[in-house]
Amino acid sequence: MDSSGVQWFDVGDQSVREVATAMKARCARFVTITATELPGNEGLRLEYLWDLDGQLLGFSFHLETNSVESIFDICEATDWIEREIHEGFAVDFIGREYEPLLLREGNNLGVNLREEGR
Amino acid sequence: MSYKIPMGPYHPALEEPYKLDMICDGETVSDAKLHIGFNFRGIEHLAETRNYIQVIALMERVCGICSNIHTLTLCQAMEKLTGVEPPPRALYIRVVMAELERLHSHVLWAGIAAKLMGFKTMFMTCFALREKVMDVLQAISGNRVNYSMNRIGGVNRDIEDPLALLGMVDLLEREMIRTIIPIFTTSTTATLRCAGIGILANEKAVSCGVVGPTARASGVGQDLRRAAPYAAYSEMEFDVPVEKAGDVRARLLVRALEIMESCRILRQALTKMPPGEFNTGDGKIVFSTGTAISRVEAPRGEVVYSVSWKENSRNPARVHVRTPTFQNMPAIRWMVIGARLADTPLIQASIDPCYSCTDR
Repeated sequence: MDSSGVQWFDVGDQSVREVATAMKARCARFVTITATELPGNEGLRLEYLWDLDGQLLGFSFHLETNSVESIFDICEATDWIEREIHEGFAVDFIGREYEPLLLREGNNLGVNLREEGR
Repeated sequence: MSYKIPMGPYHPALEEPYKLDMICDGETVSDAKLHIGFNFRGIEHLAETRNYIQVIALMERVCGICSNIHTLTLCQAMEKLTGVEPPPRALYIRVVMAELERLHSHVLWAGIAAKLMGFKTMFMTCFALREKVMDVLQAISGNRVNYSMNRIGGVNRDIEDPLALLGMVDLLEREMIRTIIPIFTTSTTATLRCAGIGILANEKAVSCGVVGPTARASGVGQDLRRAAPYAAYSEMEFDVPVEKAGDVRARLLVRALEIMESCRILRQALTKMPPGEFNTGDGKIVFSTGTAISRVEAPRGEVVYSVSWKENSRNPARVHVRTPTFQNMPAIRWMVIGARLADTPLIQASIDPCYSCTDR
């Protein structure tokens, strides 16, 4: 583990679904996803955190477009955080349906983005 | 015939606004949907506009019950980014504050649970006991809610005479053993209202990734104080209570037993507190570029802070907070399915939900 408190793994060309499947197979507990808007037009970074027997494991994915595959069908614990990131950062998690979580029906997506409507 | 019954966003059983839409067949709940967001304040976004001192005061206001835990988790993350290590006495004081906060949170929850059971006398007993803990927190910090104890590199205030607090620990433990635990575990009222109600099976608890007492009442034994120790927890001896029934009674028992363990930890922290400085002083704080993650076992379960910083910046680039209730609340749906409508206020309260934490 590095000084940041997480064991970060290089995902290489693995998809979020492949990582999630591997984590579930090891009985790791899903912790959270942190979305970060990168400066300029660099897109977004999604950091998936899993707990394996008290050890925090991190997998970072760079999104150039605002979409990524959902892992909700693999891990139901991701339901609310995927919905929150969808509303806060306008990320489309492909393969799932949404209901409003923090926002109300009809509100604009992307409330956490620096530039509205990006 | 099915019909929909809304509970909330304003309802006598809810301490803060949220909404539970229940589909009922007669008196039995067949499905439920949760709606949150009524307390959304955009705190994560606001954090990016605050410097490293202001952001501590801001994050202390994420929650009115576990305010100390939020600053502790944030400061631990910022200490990783700055390379600052708090002195040993500060780590012990952080344990004392965290356990006092757990005590008052659990006793408060016991009081609210008693009220929802229709057991008003127990509600008053619990709140009278909680006042003793609040008095100690006020004596240490000068405040009853936002204690302003944590800072980068330690704590803001010393506990000058730790042994003087042992009397409160003894009193609390005595009252728990004499009154609260026996009544909650043996009285007909508590048993009838809690046993076999709102069951979250172990498999569902694992699948939903629930944390804290909610998880431990369903047989999931993780406690970060043991699994990934922080502050001075690695030097404390304590047990992690786990129950397997997964019902409201199990969640009640886990919290009652955790109060006893908190007293045990407090006694060790107060008697073994090392002498010396309680913070690293007012030297220059330099952040390195990167992201640090910190986790703490709050009264309701694991709190996670992910803090990103850019070198030479006064403000964080990103602060993400994953609170325990955010992870536990979706499980309420599975707890209320099959339950009687009249039991649902107590069932939803049994996870000790904090809606302000959840919405941020």
